[in-house]
Amino acid sequence: MVPTLVGITVVVFAIMAASPGGISSQALVEGQNLEPQAKKALMEYYNRRYGLDDPPPIQYLRWLNNVSPIGFTFNEANEISGFSLLKGSDLGESFRYGRPVAGLLADRVPITLLLNLLSLPLIYVIAISIGVRAATQRGQAFDVGSSVIMLALWSVPTMLTGVLLIGFFASDQYWHWFPTAGLSEREALDMPFLPHWGSAHDVLILFAGVAGGVVLALLLSRRGGRALRSVTLALLGGWAGYLMSAQLPGADWQAAPLLLPALGAAVLGGIGLLEYPGLRDAAIASIGLVTGILAVTPLMEEAFVRGFLLDRLWHLALPVICLSYSGFAFLSRLTRSAVLENLLSDYARTARAKGAPESLVLWRHVFRNSLLPLITVAATLLPGLLMGSVIVESIFSIDGMGKLAVEAVKDRDSELVLSITLISGLLNLAGYLIADLAYALADPRVSYE
Amino acid sequence: MSEVRQPARGAPRSYTRQVLVEVLSRWGARLGLAWIAVLIVLAVFAPFLANSRPLLAATASGLVTPLIADLTAVDVTLLVVFFASLALLPLRLRVRSKLGILAGVIVLTAVAGQALLTPSQIVVHQQYREAEATGEYRWAIYPPIPYSPKDYLRDFGDTGLEPPLAASGRSHWFGTDKHGADVLSRMIHASRIALGIGLVATGIALGIGVIIGGLMGYFAGVVDILGMRLVEIFEAIPLLFLLLTFVAFFGRSLYLMMVIIGITSWPGYARYIRAEFLKLRQQEFVQAAIACGLPLHSVLFRHMLPNGLAPLLVTASFGVASAILAETTLSFLGLGLVDDPSWGQMLNQAVQSSTFNWWMAAFPGGAIFLTVFGYNLVGEALRDAVDPYLKKAAA
Repeated sequence: MVPTLVGITVVVFAIMAASPGGISSQALVEGQNLEPQAKKALMEYYNRRYGLDDPPPIQYLRWLNNVSPIGFTFNEANEISGFSLLKGSDLGESFRYGRPVAGLLADRVPITLLLNLLSLPLIYVIAISIGVRAATQRGQAFDVGSSVIMLALWSVPTMLTGVLLIGFFASDQYWHWFPTAGLSEREALDMPFLPHWGSAHDVLILFAGVAGGVVLALLLSRRGGRALRSVTLALLGGWAGYLMSAQLPGADWQAAPLLLPALGAAVLGGIGLLEYPGLRDAAIASIGLVTGILAVTPLMEEAFVRGFLLDRLWHLALPVICLSYSGFAFLSRLTRSAVLENLLSDYARTARAKGAPESLVLWRHVFRNSLLPLITVAATLLPGLLMGSVIVESIFSIDGMGKLAVEAVKDRDSELVLSITLISGLLNLAGYLIADLAYALADPRVSYE
Repeated sequence: MSEVRQPARGAPRSYTRQVLVEVLSRWGARLGLAWIAVLIVLAVFAPFLANSRPLLAATASGLVTPLIADLTAVDVTLLVVFFASLALLPLRLRVRSKLGILAGVIVLTAVAGQALLTPSQIVVHQQYREAEATGEYRWAIYPPIPYSPKDYLRDFGDTGLEPPLAASGRSHWFGTDKHGADVLSRMIHASRIALGIGLVATGIALGIGVIIGGLMGYFAGVVDILGMRLVEIFEAIPLLFLLLTFVAFFGRSLYLMMVIIGITSWPGYARYIRAEFLKLRQQEFVQAAIACGLPLHSVLFRHMLPNGLAPLLVTASFGVASAILAETTLSFLGLGLVDDPSWGQMLNQAVQSSTFNWWMAAFPGGAIFLTVFGYNLVGEALRDAVDPYLKKAAA
């Protein structure tokens, strides 16, 4: 692990050292408008930090010493004065922000991690619920349909989804349901953490709406026949589509009042046609939840404060969707092939032969074994998520590490770029480590003696 | 047993052929290949499909062909290579010699094109429209889309983002971008960049990966341990961050971008080839080749590599898709090519200063999606075709 980390720094430093121009000339170009003293200070800082008059290997060792938390200390004359275990790591200073890089990263990394950690469970839950079903129903409609849809979803570039989501659901031209930028509204910072309602009466009404919506939805999903389900949902979808077309401010879409109800009816009706009870229940219950809340909202008084938490979730909804869909598309195909392989295996046949019910065979025997490739992949999922957050943060203007990376690259803020690459490598290695540990937990045969 | 059996009908076909037939029998792969073929045609004939210059125009002094006069070396090379490969395809030659001939053709036309062609350096795109309006051209035949990708319609005044078919007097099927250039024209020319980056970057990555992975797998031991650390180092840095770092310090150009995407995405191939070669190195045919005293490159590339090639194609097919995605992502983030058309850069203009221009999202984004989807479909079909386990399970 440590050799890999050192290797990462070698690669990163080599890129920088091999770049035409280099640091000092960059500083000169950027320092053109500085006072002579400030310019001199900048040059001295660089000479001290990188020893630009030394050969590159020495420069590298110096940089490594600066970055690593333990190492040698230098005195005023730039000579080694001692070895310290507690000197702390110095990531340098950012040009653009004029702040230490470490402080900048401490602000930004948690935001990116929040996005990624919210996406991960979502990815796994959806991927497993679709992949396992597709494997057990191999060759049937659900399998074929979900396979094609997942492959297509996997191919949709994140930028396209982000742009479409922000364009349709966050801009004034269409439906302004979500915020366009940032992680929270200005006023939300002054709100209490949890949402507050004006009176107990309001809470009761909301509760009634939610409960009524969900219970009716579940009744429809469980008790109603397939025809009843899909017709009811299609009607609901058509109505929702009509409402959406009525909300459109612009008049440049003449077809919208026809197209949107048809689309809504088709999508919701399609959910009604699903033969997969778990997924259908979840989908219909969430439709019921939304319908219930929307139905009782006009009955409530105005004194609702959404609070910091709801505000944050409201801001995170679109970015998290954007970040997670390609992950679950990829993972569900992997789940399918893993479960399929184990379903056809000898031990699964033995379990069936001894009379174990199919659900037990699936979840106790087959699924446990199919988890292993999924855990292995978690390590490779993290770099994907980090890359995705670069795009998502740029689109949704979230001040995380990804946006910082793009800005740093545009400004050729070398210290910042190097540190970000280093940190992302570090996060990745942490992901590998966690995946290795989880692997040992899931598979008792694996041990790291 | 001295008699030689003639291959009868239904005799076992070669493995490559078997895989090819299997892939082509799938609908997904056919659709994907069809879309890629369409893109190739669009890329090769781009100057004839979307150009401000007339194909043929009649002036007082006779017929002129501004479009053909302004063809660049790249245009001509692409055309020649396209027709040369079409001509070579039905010939009964070995693949190796076909590739050799193609490489020769590419070098020859590129060099000859550089030396002989003199495209005008500065093009004033509106001069042709003005020439027709003033009557200098008695008549002119234009390409189907009479706008060049860098034709910013300066003669139409202050043009900018316009939805499809909104402007009167001009027909922009996919609208115009923020500088006023025709989106469809830019998209057609951008297909060159997408295809080129996908193929060249994957080729570079494949080359590096095969050499490093092959050496690792062949020598095993210390070489393998050291090589795997190198692979791990490159895998531990997220690809996009590495790309961003490269772009930050080395600037932007098309060829540099191909190289950069290539040298950042080789670890997957190296890992794959290493695993294959570790399995192969103890087999009799490899041992025999070594015992014959064959040089290393012959053992590696003529004896071992063909046995690991078919599965490698699967990875390469997905690799092309991700290389295209990498380029569009860089362009989307504003770190790609500056003036040249690119799908990602057009997609970037879809949301600007809080107005949403749907045509800038739908068309370039759709093109990226279809291309990536096409390569993924082909990769999927290839994987199913070469995976013996899945075949057994399906039977």
